[in-house]
Amino acid sequence: MSFSEFVDGPFWYFSATVFVIGVLWRLIGMLSMGSKTDYSVPRSSGAAGALGINIKRFFPRSDFWSRIKLQVVAGYLFHVGLFALLFFAAPHIEFYREYVTGFGWTALPEWAFILVSEIAFLGLLLLILHRLMNPVTRMISDRGDYIGSILIFLVMLTGCLALARSHEALRVTHFFLAELLLLYFPFSALMHTFTFPFSRGFAGAHYGRRGVKV
Amino acid sequence: MAIDMNVFRGFAEQIKMLPQMARPTDCPENERVSHAKAIFSAKIDASNATHLESCVHCGLCAEACQFYIETEDPELTPIHKLDLLKRYYRREKAPLRWLHRLIEPEITEDDLKATQHLVYESCTECGRCGLVCPMGIDIASMVHITREGLAHAGLIPAGLRAVEQEQGSRGTVFGVGPEQLRQAAEELRAKGHVVPIDKDKADILVLTSTIDVLLFKDALEATVKVMNHLGVDWTMHSCAFEGANFGLLSGYSKVQQSASERITKQAIALGAKLVIVPECGHAYPAMRWAGANVHGGPLPFEVMAISEYLGREVMEGRLHVNPIGAGKHVTYHDPCKVGRHGGVFDEPRAVLQALGVDMREMPSNRATNFCCGGGAGLFVMEGAEPMRNAAFDLKRRQVEATGADSVVTACGSCRINLMAGAGRTQWATPIESLVELVGANLK
Repeated sequence: MSFSEFVDGPFWYFSATVFVIGVLWRLIGMLSMGSKTDYSVPRSSGAAGALGINIKRFFPRSDFWSRIKLQVVAGYLFHVGLFALLFFAAPHIEFYREYVTGFGWTALPEWAFILVSEIAFLGLLLLILHRLMNPVTRMISDRGDYIGSILIFLVMLTGCLALARSHEALRVTHFFLAELLLLYFPFSALMHTFTFPFSRGFAGAHYGRRGVKV
Repeated sequence: MAIDMNVFRGFAEQIKMLPQMARPTDCPENERVSHAKAIFSAKIDASNATHLESCVHCGLCAEACQFYIETEDPELTPIHKLDLLKRYYRREKAPLRWLHRLIEPEITEDDLKATQHLVYESCTECGRCGLVCPMGIDIASMVHITREGLAHAGLIPAGLRAVEQEQGSRGTVFGVGPEQLRQAAEELRAKGHVVPIDKDKADILVLTSTIDVLLFKDALEATVKVMNHLGVDWTMHSCAFEGANFGLLSGYSKVQQSASERITKQAIALGAKLVIVPECGHAYPAMRWAGANVHGGPLPFEVMAISEYLGREVMEGRLHVNPIGAGKHVTYHDPCKVGRHGGVFDEPRAVLQALGVDMREMPSNRATNFCCGGGAGLFVMEGAEPMRNAAFDLKRRQVEATGADSVVTACGSCRINLMAGAGRTQWATPIESLVELVGANLK
């Protein structure tokens, strides 16, 4: 079996399986810890609070803006760019149609692909630089944060290089790194991709019961 | 509304003496870690687990914390204060604990001791950091769980421990018990007020606090005047008058439970429909939110902060006050435990509107209001003085930005911390009590 066949075959199935099982294991594990009954009389709806925070927390409060604008802008550049690349890049849609969904959808034109790639790269580089240079993030960051950032950077870089689809080696390298990322994902803080609605929701419900819009 | 500054200074001196009054803890040194772990295990639920799993180490929480903003010390980053709890969670409770045990070291007594300063003297559990976190992580709640673990490991800072021990063993706070309450009531009766104490039945049980009995006597008098003015069936009770709960502040659940249940049982015995909590920030969540859970079921009465009660009575047209006049420019400081943790924002502002003052909001107000720096027991912790001072400096700038002539608040410990800061920096802006303003201007 060639390396290319390994990456396209068993390693893909293995990494995808670890990703799915790992994500479910962690989500179910933490959510199944349960909560104690709160006997206090609510001032307002906890469910509305949980829903509200999940929407509002996408938009930082103006009180904080002057102190957090760099992280917020960089975060949005990276996440919006990455989302567009993941779900609207033509090669990815082709991949999903063939291996996952069985159907495709409209892809970004190539110029837009290049634009969102640059946006995502800019955001990621700013976030990495901030993590390295800001005394707070430098202190609280762990190895996992850097491993995740570097892996994503390499996946994006090889993905862009493989765009022309003229060099099989580049495509295989991109696949291999993406599969490493899938393997790493459930063991890392990248899990926030799936935990954030629950995390926000618990806080929103807690404060929502108290009539506080957070 | 004049405060006897000699009493205030005496009170401050008494606070400084607290560490010497603390008894040694009854937790054996070799059992500290196991005691803390038992609490962590019991307290961590799905909400905490999700929060501990979701942090991306973005550091935004630091940008909301008054202590970090003022000092720029990364050690004060709110999420960093959870490192101990997170390590316990990862090793013992997390779905991937089998993996984390290979990487994360076991927590030790030294780790507990190293965390003490972070969660007691460097955090007021104000919850402002939770408003900026993109994941919505409720750091304040988990700082409190960490406090609870340390408390049961015998690691409450001495000043706070002294008061917790006093309330736990004698039921008094700063020596104020039933006799001191009766003396305060006699003083008020001598001024012509009717002060019902120990009635058999009453619709409303009014709590007070040591701070009001000893220091802010005008707040107690104003409360009495308001209740009588409204003509409601109310009483105070010598067995259950203390709103302050140093079990909650310290994290020692046994004392929290006894202080809370004393009030709950008395209110039930009175047939009270309402318990009114005084101007004491943490006393509100202690009864309003934690009271029922400590009791183990819904409370058969309503719990309101005095500022909330005043606001409701004003908004519903039962309480009428004389306008002070638009010439008085005031700003309102929301006590964290009543506002951000309690949802009481509109009521005190309705009272100020009825008083006809020119209300000027601080740049950060209501839910994003900055803490006074003395909350969560910091005002009795000697080691917290630099933090209290830092928070005051920030608060002072916030107040000065409004151009207000005075700051009104509805929490005794906020007043103490702001007054201490004002004394330290020769700041002349008066710090006033909402209930005192109402009491002085009843129609």
